[in-house]
Amino acid sequence: MASPSVTVQAEQITMFFKSGQQEIPILKNINWKATRGTIQLLMGPSGSGKTTFISILAGLLTPTQGQVYLLGQEITHLSRQKRTAFRREHIGFIFQNFNLFPALTAAENIEIILNMKGVKKEQARYQAQELLQQVGLHLYANQKPKDLSGGQKQRVAIARALAGSPCLIMADEPTAALDSQSGYQVTELLKHLAKEKGCTVLIVTHDPRIQDVADHITYLEDGRLILPN
Amino acid sequence: MVSLARKNLLEDIPRFLVAQAGILFAVTLVTIQLGIFSGFSKSTVKLIENSNADIWVASDTLVQLELTLPVPVSELIKARKMPEVARGDGLIFSGAHWFPKEGELVRVRIIGFNPQSSLYQPETVLEGSVSNLTEPYTAMIDIFDQNTLQVEGIGDQLQMSSLPVEVVGMTEGNTSMISNPFVLMSLKNANAYLRAGQTSQINCQLPEKGSQLECINMFHPEPDDQATTIEPNIEPRNLAASDVVTFILIKAESGQDLSALKDKLEQKLNNVKAYTKEELINITETYWQQRTGIGLVLGLGTVVGIVVGTVVVSQILYSSVSDHLKEFGTLKAMGASAGMIYRIIIEQAVWMAIFGYLPAMLLSFGVAYWINSSQGTLLLITPTSAIAIFVITMAMCIGSAIFAIQKVNRVDPAIVFKA
Repeated sequence: MASPSVTVQAEQITMFFKSGQQEIPILKNINWKATRGTIQLLMGPSGSGKTTFISILAGLLTPTQGQVYLLGQEITHLSRQKRTAFRREHIGFIFQNFNLFPALTAAENIEIILNMKGVKKEQARYQAQELLQQVGLHLYANQKPKDLSGGQKQRVAIARALAGSPCLIMADEPTAALDSQSGYQVTELLKHLAKEKGCTVLIVTHDPRIQDVADHITYLEDGRLILPN
Repeated sequence: MVSLARKNLLEDIPRFLVAQAGILFAVTLVTIQLGIFSGFSKSTVKLIENSNADIWVASDTLVQLELTLPVPVSELIKARKMPEVARGDGLIFSGAHWFPKEGELVRVRIIGFNPQSSLYQPETVLEGSVSNLTEPYTAMIDIFDQNTLQVEGIGDQLQMSSLPVEVVGMTEGNTSMISNPFVLMSLKNANAYLRAGQTSQINCQLPEKGSQLECINMFHPEPDDQATTIEPNIEPRNLAASDVVTFILIKAESGQDLSALKDKLEQKLNNVKAYTKEELINITETYWQQRTGIGLVLGLGTVVGIVVGTVVVSQILYSSVSDHLKEFGTLKAMGASAGMIYRIIIEQAVWMAIFGYLPAMLLSFGVAYWINSSQGTLLLITPTSAIAIFVITMAMCIGSAIFAIQKVNRVDPAIVFKA
């Protein structure tokens, strides 16, 4: 069982994908953990298993073997509904391509997640404005994603990830599609989440700019950890 | 809650309009088919609906309103004498030939009734008066049959069977989609036209000593050289006991048990069967809907409309969900429950149903008005059928969402981490 400060812990994670009769190993016996208020970087070449690993940590994939503890809760053996509810409650997501809903405004993109978490309409509207203010985009609340720059979209995505104050933030290449200025702003925001809000921020990235703010860097290669923390 | 369904739907307006056009077409098709079906059903029984009679007495051979044998007037006289009967009138409903000024002979339906009685009154008299029908050899026609019968207006003199006829009035709504044009006239006149070119003979016999006399009316066409048996300058006579009517309309004394009165009429009168208004409507509608191909054809059209609508909506929803698959994946990853995802898709289907239904109903009402005013054909959209079509549209759209839901169910939320 993980100690209270350990928010994410992976034990002996092994993952195979089936391809016809063959079983292809993706992750091999990985042990890993992250503590509260830290920024964890997961790096490695393409095909090293980073995406599979973060998907397992987020409860989106079930490993072939091993367990994942999030906030002390073992999630790999939870039912799909319970894992979904756990993600809704405790995890915020940030994606490389932002994954904003194009038909919704910046504020509505946040409101819908708050609604999903049970926040009522008026309260959700108010909280969405506050979150946009935190990422410096309150003046863009009524803009649709197509009217925002890449950096602005990612800041909206960060605000959305913060909706409902989750303890864990999982980000997949959050700065990959951004120019240096926007990348810097996003990095600062992620640092703020970890240091000021006490979130555990797990980032899958190739971007060396983020390395400066990371507390721990984990390298994956051929499904194995190279430098476990 | 933010309506992702509605926003997704309205995001691309041209695409939305094309999609809605498909639903509009399907709903309009269903509405028009059902409207024609209802209008057709109603038109077959309009004659019955226009009567105030409590009971219709007909020959016991009756199959439906237009398929029955006549009843002797002697039975009408017997019925009138019954204390439970407040009023009894004859109604003649029979075929005749109309001779337009030019062109081909037209088969018409004579409706002979008592113009001074309220037991049957024609619908909407536009010109002239029902009281004019008491004049000899006069008739009223429906305005939508004016061209068919080549009547220019009131006062026109034409020929029906072998007798002259003067048009003294115009009505509206006295047509049937399956019947020949209706020619409305007094019972006396109707009787004269029925007997024109025919001789009648009544044969009576006493089957057993002490039993009731049984009479049968026999009609024979006159030989051609004697075809006109009634002089047009002689006023039609009142109906005699030996004449026949098609129906006996009965108004019961107030407080009478109609079921008991029906039984009593069937006992007292010879070879008849009595029906309440609703029973005769039901028998006639059922006959046309089930024993002819018309009900099947119109019903099939409705089914085709529903199938087309379901296919169109399924395709639109499926394609919409496919376009927004990553968004659904994102929602699933972020913790959206299956119920929430279903609600989004079903809400989208509901909006499509509403946005498709409203213009389709407007279009259908327009088509119904146009057909009715230009052709006299009844395309009936009642509040009940409008509600039924709304329910069908909803079921069609929500049913169509099943395929889209299956597609979303298969979405792996882990796709969110694949760039």
